[in-house]
Amino acid sequence: MSSHREAPEISKDPVADSADLYAFVSPDHPDTVTLIANYVPLQLPASGPNFFEFGDDVLYEIHVDKNGDGRPDLTYQFRFRTELRNDRTFLYNTGPIESLDSENWNRRQFYSVTKVDASGKRYVLAEKLPCPPCNVGPLSIPDYDKLAEDAVHKLKSGEKVFAGQRADPFFVDLGAIFDLGTLRPFQDKHLVGQKLFNYAGKAVNATDKLNVHSIAIQVPLYDVRKDGKKKVRGRDKEAVIGVWTSASRRQVEVRHGKKDNADVYVGPQVQVSRLGNPLFNEVIVPMAQKDLWNSLPPSEDKRFAEFVEQPELAALLPVLYPGLFDRLADLNKAKTARADLLAILLTGIPDGLIDGFQNNTGETQADMLRLNTAIPPTTKDANKFGLLGGDLAGFPNGRRVADDVVSISLRAIAGVTVPLVDEKFKPDDAAALVEQGLSAKDASSKLLNEFPYLGVPFDGFNNPGAADKK
Amino acid sequence: MSRVHYGTRAVNRLSRRRVLAIAATVGVGVSAAGVAGLSLAGEKDSNDTEPLVLSLRDAKKGTFDVFSGGSKVTLTDKDLAKKLLKAVKRA
Repeated sequence: MSSHREAPEISKDPVADSADLYAFVSPDHPDTVTLIANYVPLQLPASGPNFFEFGDDVLYEIHVDKNGDGRPDLTYQFRFRTELRNDRTFLYNTGPIESLDSENWNRRQFYSVTKVDASGKRYVLAEKLPCPPCNVGPLSIPDYDKLAEDAVHKLKSGEKVFAGQRADPFFVDLGAIFDLGTLRPFQDKHLVGQKLFNYAGKAVNATDKLNVHSIAIQVPLYDVRKDGKKKVRGRDKEAVIGVWTSASRRQVEVRHGKKDNADVYVGPQVQVSRLGNPLFNEVIVPMAQKDLWNSLPPSEDKRFAEFVEQPELAALLPVLYPGLFDRLADLNKAKTARADLLAILLTGIPDGLIDGFQNNTGETQADMLRLNTAIPPTTKDANKFGLLGGDLAGFPNGRRVADDVVSISLRAIAGVTVPLVDEKFKPDDAAALVEQGLSAKDASSKLLNEFPYLGVPFDGFNNPGAADKK
Repeated sequence: MSRVHYGTRAVNRLSRRRVLAIAATVGVGVSAAGVAGLSLAGEKDSNDTEPLVLSLRDAKKGTFDVFSGGSKVTLTDKDLAKKLLKAVKRA
């Protein structure tokens, strides 16, 4: 998946597991950027009595690099606190929840937002902001949409924030991809699949009807740009920002260590999860180093550049799909360092390679979502293949919610972006056609046209659906 | 995330790499050798009533990591190391 359970250790710690990160110029407020970090992946909606929540013992952060050094110049920190109203019930809610301060809502979460600048100075922007409840079901929460709207908070400092449950908008045919790299639309061309299938298959969205917990913040563009510039041109280096999210925990935990039997959390925060570009840790970094990668800042990513230069997946494609990726095989055989992938994932695409576009941040190799904030959002007919589909506002220029990052990444690794750095290279025909066979339309939850953009979470009463549902 | 379970009943299983939770009243002279880790901005320091956690990183040298609030301090105290090892019957 994008980053759901992407590394051995974090897969056992879902509360701190970053699943997806999005960064895009807000389509309805193009003078702002929207940053969304999803955590607590793969939530079954029917999950009572203990519904999903953020970790009170986790520090969640969204970082912005303004000068290309792979270090944060602006960080938004989110800390959560859970409160119980009623210590005599086992229930999440004891009646309908019709407002964020409902007496019937037993287990509520609140959060603070802290802004940290490049010098480390911190500003607490808000405290005790309420999260919406999980979507228990229509009997418990008759008007979930309204409740979630009430949980969008406009801060005095200019940002808009939301933290709470949402429908997971990510779409991926996980079952096929990790069954020996099968892409169902091409299953009859697969090395093993051709013995099983004589027809193209239809992709399955493995993350459909599951929820996540989202942290979303909308920030004025001048706040994320170097020197606070209100106006920049697309060619200006000040137009480009790098974005990543991280989750950290205290280095030491002592269970029942306090006099009152409460747990002890002490020591510095240590990073346990990180996410910039989707799929970077998942399919680029070898399993033996994934946990290490999660503990490091982007400024350390030079040590992983070798896996970008010679990605394992590029070597697998010609083997798994015999005859379809012969030119890619030749490229691999020549041990050609993939300068195109290094640019896309670690430094940004320099000016001059794609008409009217650049998102280069300099020489420091760092895995970040790089967004050119001067590129206006595509408000009509956005292309799910993003930059590869000629849509300059899409991945890998930042990442929009509906971008098909799996297929974009597959095509890039298959060689479709090599001509950016080697005009003589002609990609295999299959490289421009390969895809997983899904789009945002294959997600049952519809996206919103306004902040926080992600759809209403699936409710527990109807999901999984009843067999007799009409 | 790996979790580490330690409490008073685990003292007899204390090892060099494990962590011992002790009260903040260690009455021995220790010298701070340096700050090995800093808390992130925004982390509150502990008060006197909060437990601190001592980790004997190198028993031979008496090197400890002391975790308190949002910080970690490294210090050296061979006598304290001996005392603790004796307490857990490892000396």
